[in-house]
Amino acid sequence: MKAVPLIFSLFLTGLVLAAPPQEEAPATATPAELVDAYESLADVILGAKESEKHLVRSILATAYRHAEVTAMRAKAGIEAGEDMEAELEALAALVSQLGNEGDAAVAATRKRLLEGGHHHNAKGEEQGIYDEGFVIVTRAARKAFLDSAKRIARMAAAPDADRLAAEWKRVADEYNMLMADAE
Amino acid sequence: MSAVHFHGSLPKLLWAMAGLAVMSTSDVRAEGPGLRFQDVSAQAGLTRVLLSGRPDKEHLLDSAGGGAAWLDYDRDGWMDLYLVNGWELKGNRIVRKGQNALYRNQGDGTFRDVTDQAGVGDRQHWGGGVAVADYDDDGWPDILVTNFGANVLFHNQGDGTFRDVAARAGIQAPGWNTGAAFFDADRDGDLDLYIAAYIEATLEDVLEARASLDWKGVAKVAMGPFGLQGAQDRFFLSDGEGRFREATESAGLEDRGRGYGFAVRAADFDGDGDPDLYVANDSDANYFYRNRGDGTFEEIGLWNGSALDLNGAAQAGMGLAVGDVQGDGLLDIFVTNFSEDFSTLYRGLGRGFFEDASIDSGLGDATYASLSWGAALADLDQDADLDLVIAHGHIYPQVDSHPEIGMHYRQTNQILINSGGGAFQDATPSAGPAFQAAQSSRGLALADFDNDGDLDLLFTHLDAPPTLLRNDTQGGNWLNVACQTPPGQGGVIGTSVWVTVKEKIQRRDIASSGSFLSAHDPRLHFGLGAARRADQVKVVWPDGSTTVLKDVAANQFLEIQKVPSQDPAPGGASGAQNPTGE
Repeated sequence: MKAVPLIFSLFLTGLVLAAPPQEEAPATATPAELVDAYESLADVILGAKESEKHLVRSILATAYRHAEVTAMRAKAGIEAGEDMEAELEALAALVSQLGNEGDAAVAATRKRLLEGGHHHNAKGEEQGIYDEGFVIVTRAARKAFLDSAKRIARMAAAPDADRLAAEWKRVADEYNMLMADAE
Repeated sequence: MSAVHFHGSLPKLLWAMAGLAVMSTSDVRAEGPGLRFQDVSAQAGLTRVLLSGRPDKEHLLDSAGGGAAWLDYDRDGWMDLYLVNGWELKGNRIVRKGQNALYRNQGDGTFRDVTDQAGVGDRQHWGGGVAVADYDDDGWPDILVTNFGANVLFHNQGDGTFRDVAARAGIQAPGWNTGAAFFDADRDGDLDLYIAAYIEATLEDVLEARASLDWKGVAKVAMGPFGLQGAQDRFFLSDGEGRFREATESAGLEDRGRGYGFAVRAADFDGDGDPDLYVANDSDANYFYRNRGDGTFEEIGLWNGSALDLNGAAQAGMGLAVGDVQGDGLLDIFVTNFSEDFSTLYRGLGRGFFEDASIDSGLGDATYASLSWGAALADLDQDADLDLVIAHGHIYPQVDSHPEIGMHYRQTNQILINSGGGAFQDATPSAGPAFQAAQSSRGLALADFDNDGDLDLLFTHLDAPPTLLRNDTQGGNWLNVACQTPPGQGGVIGTSVWVTVKEKIQRRDIASSGSFLSAHDPRLHFGLGAARRADQVKVVWPDGSTTVLKDVAANQFLEIQKVPSQDPAPGGASGAQNPTGE
């Protein structure tokens, strides 16, 4: 992994050395080719951050769709008088993944990025809006999702389709608002 | 079915009688516990300095410290003490490799260092944690020492000596190992083992480390844990023949978040008859592994309410204590955290759910300023509810050079009294001069070392000998219950005991470890308040079978022996959530 930056640097240096001299520039100016290369690199860096946002959106969307189906199945099961404990717990796990921007394995990746000094929302973290390393889910949304997850899981003791529907609506509203903001 | 008797040793009986005499002249005090602790470390002979890296604590290992364990290794009825030691560094040099210590309790308030003759010194490793269990079920307690390096498992040979069998047992697992818990995960009658790990680090990393993290803009301190890679916790399944095989993945105990693991505790938190597992992670969400009933687990901490604080934030979990704080029959979990953040009480709601009750309980404000490590829930004034003791100490000695921060490297430890309903009041200022001494404390292990009926406190500190605080509180009546099983019957880890006095039920559980890298007295202590008898003592053994005693006199050491089971009930629910019946 550490070889990649080195190879990339060599590539850029090679580009510069191989390029024919261009029109005259002040002798002390940074060569235009290097500026162009840096511009390209900036596109890559900024693009990577944008890609990170898209990736996390996809993680959230996947969890949300899965949760939506699970919620509908659980609600139908409760209405039919079936034991829906496993479904409710699965739903709770999925909603907690919304709050956590993925499961524990994703959290490990997030931690690695933090270890490398990457904070997607550095400014938002300073302002207390985001927890460290979070990309889309704000601190407030995170708490809302995690609270909903707990309430859903606890419903297994006294299943109630209406309560579940109301809780799911909270989750859906929070999710839709978050995703709209993240556009 | 069980055999029940007073402990055979005369000294114990005398101590018990002394306790009775005291109680005949003092009643239970519902308020104003008059806590009193006396530092008896020096007179007891506990002089071993516990080394911990460099004075400036340039790597987190320098600041981690080690634990302590109480065990009756020679089965003479007196709790002996095991201390885990680290190394001393200077710059990038190893100056001294500390020796662990085994102190034999001589029954007169003093201890004798028997480390060498017992063969448990182990200077080869930088020690961290300790857990005690009879892992091979031969009737003698064994000692697991988790190290920065390979772990050591001292097998008690029953003649006052131990032998390291970690390699043969297959649990050496080199790395930065921290908390550990023996428990029968699959309920097959033998003890399995979970060992938490902190960060990936080599000895070279430690030796070369320099304080480089800018902290609050005033000092350079040790780097981490952010910036350092979390190490994977491991789970070992016993084959019942004294060997283990790693089964971390197949058991679902994968540490998927690579949390910076510290304290570990197994207990039947959801009351379904099998042991679950809780892991306190530093700066990461804590893990709650729910046992599916077949020895495999699923991590549910994020939605059962035990992973994060009430704001949904991960905290810096260090140590933990488990107990029924409210007296509702449900286990609560107390996790100690970093300074400028409260330690967290996860109140049990039943069925394995929890809520953060730190603020309601009064623990939020009380614990906010200190950096907390070892913790224990115990009835220190014997008024029939669980009080709380916490070991404190900062990790950065540099804070002492900056008084404007308002923190100290050495901090006083803390004692909080339960007012009866799970609300706590800080009683540290009135607990006597021993609680005014400041150290950078880490481990905390409780035992009735003098067999006088109350619980005494043992703290470990960085770069100092331990402190033994004898409990001289004139408290209420008490009962001390030692559970035993015949060899080959699976041992007592995971046993719960329920004591009923009128409408009040108290619960205690036997565990191999707890607090911060430490292990408490395996005998279970109950405060009974004014009651001179317990209406019922009920033992729920790990296999789900029960032993019930009626009308039990207070102020005695009770031994309850499990009668060999003809028809053990593997997988049978213990009903331990609220076993008020018979």
